[in-house]
Amino acid sequence: MTALARIAPFALALLMPLAALANPALDAVIADNLDQIERPSRQTVAPLIADIAATGPEGLAMLQAWSARELALTEDGRAVITSGEVPVDAVTGDPVTDDFSSLRPNSGVRGVIDGALVVSQLSDPDPAIRRGALDTLARRADAAQLAALRGALDDPDPAIAARKARLERLLTIQLGEDSANRVQAIRQLSGDVALDFRAALNPLLATRIVATKDEPGGNVARELRPGSDDLSRQDAIAMLVDQGVLQPRLTSAEQRTRLAANIVDGRVGGLPVAALDDPDARDRAYEALEAEGAVPPAATEAETEAALDAHGFFAVYAEPDAAVTEAAETALTRTQTRLGVMRGFDLGLDALSLASIYFLAAIGLAVTFGVMRVINMAHGEFIMMGAYTGYVVQTLIADRTLSLLVALPLAFAVTFAAGVVLYRLVIRHLAHRPLETLLATFGVSIALQQLAKNIFGTQARPLTSPAWLEGAITFNDVVSISSIRVAIFVLALLFLGLFLFIMKRTRLGLEVRAVTQNPGMAASMGINPDRIAMMTFGLGSGIAGIAGVAIGLFAQVTSELGQQYIVQSFMTVVVGGVGNIWGTLAGATLIGGLSKVIESLNPANTLAAQTFMILFIIIFIQFRPRGIIPQKGRAAEV
Amino acid sequence: MQRTPFILRNPSVLIVIAVLAVFTAAVTAASAAYGTGVMPTSMVKVLGKTLCLALAAVAMDLVWGYLGILSLGQMAFFALGGYMIGQWLMYARTEGIVAASMAANPIPPTPAELQEGVAGQIFGVVGSTDLPWAWTFAHSLPAQLALVLIVPGLLALVFGWLAFRSRVNGVYLSILTQAMTLALALWLFQNDSGFRGNNGLSGLQNIPGLEDVGQARLSVWFLWASALALALGYVLAAWLMGGKFGSVTRAIRDDETRVRFLGYPVEGFKLAVFTIAAMITAIAGALYYPQAGIINPAELAPIASIYLAVWVAIGGRGRLYGAVIGAVVVSLLSSWFTGGRAPDLNIAGLRMAWVDWWQVALGLTFVLVTLFAPKGIAGLFDILNRKAKS
Repeated sequence: MTALARIAPFALALLMPLAALANPALDAVIADNLDQIERPSRQTVAPLIADIAATGPEGLAMLQAWSARELALTEDGRAVITSGEVPVDAVTGDPVTDDFSSLRPNSGVRGVIDGALVVSQLSDPDPAIRRGALDTLARRADAAQLAALRGALDDPDPAIAARKARLERLLTIQLGEDSANRVQAIRQLSGDVALDFRAALNPLLATRIVATKDEPGGNVARELRPGSDDLSRQDAIAMLVDQGVLQPRLTSAEQRTRLAANIVDGRVGGLPVAALDDPDARDRAYEALEAEGAVPPAATEAETEAALDAHGFFAVYAEPDAAVTEAAETALTRTQTRLGVMRGFDLGLDALSLASIYFLAAIGLAVTFGVMRVINMAHGEFIMMGAYTGYVVQTLIADRTLSLLVALPLAFAVTFAAGVVLYRLVIRHLAHRPLETLLATFGVSIALQQLAKNIFGTQARPLTSPAWLEGAITFNDVVSISSIRVAIFVLALLFLGLFLFIMKRTRLGLEVRAVTQNPGMAASMGINPDRIAMMTFGLGSGIAGIAGVAIGLFAQVTSELGQQYIVQSFMTVVVGGVGNIWGTLAGATLIGGLSKVIESLNPANTLAAQTFMILFIIIFIQFRPRGIIPQKGRAAEV
Repeated sequence: MQRTPFILRNPSVLIVIAVLAVFTAAVTAASAAYGTGVMPTSMVKVLGKTLCLALAAVAMDLVWGYLGILSLGQMAFFALGGYMIGQWLMYARTEGIVAASMAANPIPPTPAELQEGVAGQIFGVVGSTDLPWAWTFAHSLPAQLALVLIVPGLLALVFGWLAFRSRVNGVYLSILTQAMTLALALWLFQNDSGFRGNNGLSGLQNIPGLEDVGQARLSVWFLWASALALALGYVLAAWLMGGKFGSVTRAIRDDETRVRFLGYPVEGFKLAVFTIAAMITAIAGALYYPQAGIINPAELAPIASIYLAVWVAIGGRGRLYGAVIGAVVVSLLSSWFTGGRAPDLNIAGLRMAWVDWWQVALGLTFVLVTLFAPKGIAGLFDILNRKAKS
């Protein structure tokens, strides 16, 4: 068949309203079925619709109008399409001036009409209509439509052709003629991770539970044991009660109420009331009452146990074909495996971004600890300061991109200055007293936190990211990462590079390394350790400020922002080892990766994840007390 | 060699006990239940709680001032003590209520029904009706009293053994103790760990079996108990630190390596002091929370332990009475300033509420004390002594 021949009918259809061609076949169908058209019934309308569709393009146009509730009938029984500016005759396309009454088919009928239309729409010249038809089929389809789809697999648009082919396979899984066909379709798609494939498999693998004394009929998936995860004991008992093979089992409260209703002279069923604080005694009393006919029968524990033992419980597939369910199980297993790998990859991306944040937050701590043996408890508050700087800049500069570009260096400057001031006023005077420094900086920390609360209030301040950072980079149904996290990762890489450059290629870096290794010797070589310490402290604090802006972009800015990250930063430093940027990097990667992995094992419970995380670190310290990359040489002995 | 008696070597012990006795007598005389009623019951409770905090501070001083370990996890032991006693308080009280409501039913309840009822009452709030394993002994007061000592002691023993044997010290150890506290707090925060998540244990001020006594008298009883515990704890700490054991402990603080080379089992000493301090802290907690009435995991927040260190530092570490003074002064000042009763300041036309600025003032004071008065308030006594001698 040439392309021209295939396109010809569509060209005709397009020309139809102008050319006003008569369609005697359609006219005849309408005339014969006026009643049905006026009052269609969902059960019986299908053949009529098929007839109308068979009459050609005019018939299809009429069906479309009918489904859209834009079809009407005149007094003398002509169909009128009212969708255009002027009502036209459905058969001839001529404008209609007579009175007409609109038809209002119900949704059931419209569903049948749509189903018939889909078949023709699959070959419609408009790609949007073809896509729409595929969407309709993906939602619901029957065997006839599958056959029609198979007939219309060729498509000029390769993307739509691929979708058609895929949909044909998916529909074959559900509606295929024979078992071999369906199994083949399942095998072909086996391992596919897309949602539609999983959705196509799920109904095949749906099971229901039957309880029987004999061999179960149907396509048995597996035998279940009452009291296991798949079938609770209570559910099993309820099933037996429903089948009438077991008398209802009373809850302890029901039993007690019925016993209480039958107290005679302080005795129930021959037992004194005082003795009824024992479940066995209550069962005996109830049996006695049951024998008298005073209470409805109920199963005792022993009867229940016997009934449960006598019955087998089986999960039975709704799908009768064993070959299909077997193939589906295998396919689903493969899909799950591939899904697991992809989830792992997604997890890796998450972990990477978390590690970047910890790295940014901890790098300043690690540097100051390496050079001065001092833990700065106010480090978290420097992070908070950076975030608030970002917030303030954003209130002054409306343009998000510009304000971010201003906020980053400004946050660095502000926290750098704060760090230098803290060093000059406090830390310098506490040299060689690390525990006192820890506490003094903690004093600074609570003062700064309360100060921020007094200035900015307790409610969270938003720090909105620019539009180009909104959204996410999506690889497929499973793997995606938000742009902001990519940006933070880039930022962390940038700072790693910058930091390495400063440490290895500049005079300042050389002096910092010298002071880290041996302050006394460095001083005798003309390096001023005090100045170096001040500079590194400022640098570390400045990076904390930058980290604050980055964190503020995805977390709420509050006065407690720093506290949320400070403990993780400490962990990063402790695990990574001090005085070495690679150690911090390793620590951040380990902590970030581990928290994500633990979180993914129990996604509902992030608190448990953090608990296990910290336990892990405490144990890790047992084996590497000085971190992953320990300091070597004399500096380590201080 | 004739050894000087313990009391003569530690005159401060007598003074502290005397001050404590006078204080307790004065509060009793001012209380509503046994005296003039000048002091409201809530104030008696605040003072009783302050005594417990002072006991925790004494333990903190043992660890930090004498052993040189800045433990930021003392509140973990404090809260654990509170949780252990809280379990019995809550279980026994709920059991009484449930039994009373079940007595209305003509059929006597089975033990399983009773327990189910209690569990439903206690854990309904976290969506569970089963009694968790951690509550196995909750019905028994002696068992829970023993657990007040055993659980925190065991935690300190295990954690200390792990930390000390791998020679973790200095700020690393501080961070690690903080991490331990945080882990414990996060675990308790979970609904399914069996301690009612962030609801914590509540209604602890009602002592089962003593419902008729009334809070006015109970508060005084608890004040007496707290004062007694503080006195005993103080004497124990002073006795421990006054002898040879104390000398080795201080030597470890000053130069751990040298003590190890002299042949002392440094890890053993550290472990002993750390564990004893944890148990003392736990007793303080077990007395504190029945007075506070409620305990929840927020009590274990890392910041609470740091406050303990702040009190000891401001009071003067390395001296037991310094710890007591610091805890009493700073915690009472804190509750006064943050309670909203302190008058607002007017500085250059700016009205500053103490509620907002107390934290700032405390933080800065703390920095100043660390910088300029490392001996804390107790350092003043040295100056007075010197003046008296000269």
